Amino acid sequence: MSSGAPEFCIAGLGVTAQGRHLGIPPRALRREALELALADAGLTRRDVDGYIGTSSEPGFEDVRHLGLSPAFAWAMSAGGATATWSIINAMGAIRAGQAQVVACTYGAAPTTRPRGASGGRSGGYGAYGYGYPMMYGMVGAASAHALHAQRHMYRYGTTSAHLGAVAVAQRAHAALRPGTIGYGQPITLEEHQASPMIVEPFRLLDCCRDTDGGVVVIVTTTARASALRSKAVDILGVGTGQNLRNWWTGDVYDLHDDIAPAAHTAFGQAGLTVGDVDVASLYDPFTISPLMQLEAYGFCGPGEGGPFIAAGETGLGGKIPTNTGGGQLSGYYATGFTAVVEGILQMRGEGGATQVADAEVALVSGHGGNAGVQNTWSHATLLLGAHR
Amino acid sequence: MTPLLPPNVGADELDDPFWDGCRRHEFLLHVCRECRRAYWPAASCIDHGWAPMQWQPSSGRGEVHTYTVFHHAYMPWLADRVPYAIAVVRLDEGPFFHSDIVGCAPSVVAIGLRVEVVFEEAGEGWVLPHFRPTPADAPCATDDRRIVP
Repeated sequence: MSSGAPEFCIAGLGVTAQGRHLGIPPRALRREALELALADAGLTRRDVDGYIGTSSEPGFEDVRHLGLSPAFAWAMSAGGATATWSIINAMGAIRAGQAQVVACTYGAAPTTRPRGASGGRSGGYGAYGYGYPMMYGMVGAASAHALHAQRHMYRYGTTSAHLGAVAVAQRAHAALRPGTIGYGQPITLEEHQASPMIVEPFRLLDCCRDTDGGVVVIVTTTARASALRSKAVDILGVGTGQNLRNWWTGDVYDLHDDIAPAAHTAFGQAGLTVGDVDVASLYDPFTISPLMQLEAYGFCGPGEGGPFIAAGETGLGGKIPTNTGGGQLSGYYATGFTAVVEGILQMRGEGGATQVADAEVALVSGHGGNAGVQNTWSHATLLLGAHR
Repeated sequence: MTPLLPPNVGADELDDPFWDGCRRHEFLLHVCRECRRAYWPAASCIDHGWAPMQWQPSSGRGEVHTYTVFHHAYMPWLADRVPYAIAVVRLDEGPFFHSDIVGCAPSVVAIGLRVEVVFEEAGEGWVLPHFRPTPADAPCATDDRRIVP
């Protein structure tokens, strides 16, 4: 993939309504997203010869329900890294001659109770347990990310106001983006500081909320995409990292997720540096996440993320507009697909009021996957380019 | 009655020797007899695999590497505990151990706080290790607490 014309691209995007309590079953969300993506690309169901499910369900019932006839169908599970991983996996399947058109499919409804479900509130994604620490009352993804945030505050003097700057900046983007949970509702730093403490240092407005929705991304070759309807988005580079190596060295809580090897691989494939990135779309379940990722990718120095964001550098006029659709914090939580979708929209010039003018390179990240005692094992980086 | 193990979590059976050790008030770690690296939870040594791994008593001491304080009760059985501190303890032998911090107010917990294990009956035959602040002169077993030098 390095040097020369990009070999793979994203040729279709389907995004359903994204929001709380939609009342639509997950499979129906996936079906609707698939139909939107096929229409976007100008493809039919019979053109889809590879299916990758990224939701918690195995996905085999999906393939029948969706009316697909692929050569393969499998499901992946790497938490918030699954979306970016699924695209890398689709590229691999195409490269290996197993398919030409792969549908990476997501649909979940964590805020809609399945018919026939009984009992009390599920707690949603926020109440995930992490193995034995749950016996002590360590519950939920917020606490797992808080462990990284506390280290960052200890090492660099990052403050709650810095975290609040992330929330305010991303809400400013969502306020301009119809269909997001923050649309038309900007927030102030004072409102962030007044929101209740959940798990230190995270206040309520440092946390994203579960939403329902479906997304399908269609991956194919650049050659195949040239004959399709939609404006293709080039895949310039991809990379992966795994935080376990940082667990062994004891650095895991200082690093958030394992970006270094992923960035090295992805930027190397693309022949680009971080200075070439026009817009960042970073996995952001909590405010600390974009802050630490901006440092890890090198948009600012170690420990500088808080002041960098507080100075407005992640806004539309800043050095690196970040999570221009509001991200997960203020947009919607389609697990890792929130970031993927925004990267695609920006490269197609479809970002609306928060489109970054003349953006040609988008950086997309995903992380996640539980392993009992730590929550961010898997990481994937994706570099997207506007097709020329 | 607080359930020891909520429905969606269970102690890993490969860690049973650790929990048995807690019943004897011994804080065990999974140690490689080849290179002396210590692990928790049960693991294969990254250099020597599974064969040399052995559960061995440890100091039960360490320091708070990072922590958080819960102000929100995610589950009903935690409602009467908030606010409470959960820490990742960097044990003197190297591994991380997640625990609550007892014997002090949550506001006292800080990164670098020296802590030591204390065992407590938890019902249904379980004994849970907890960590509490130690006197400032508690010795550190080694200066380099990285598992991999």
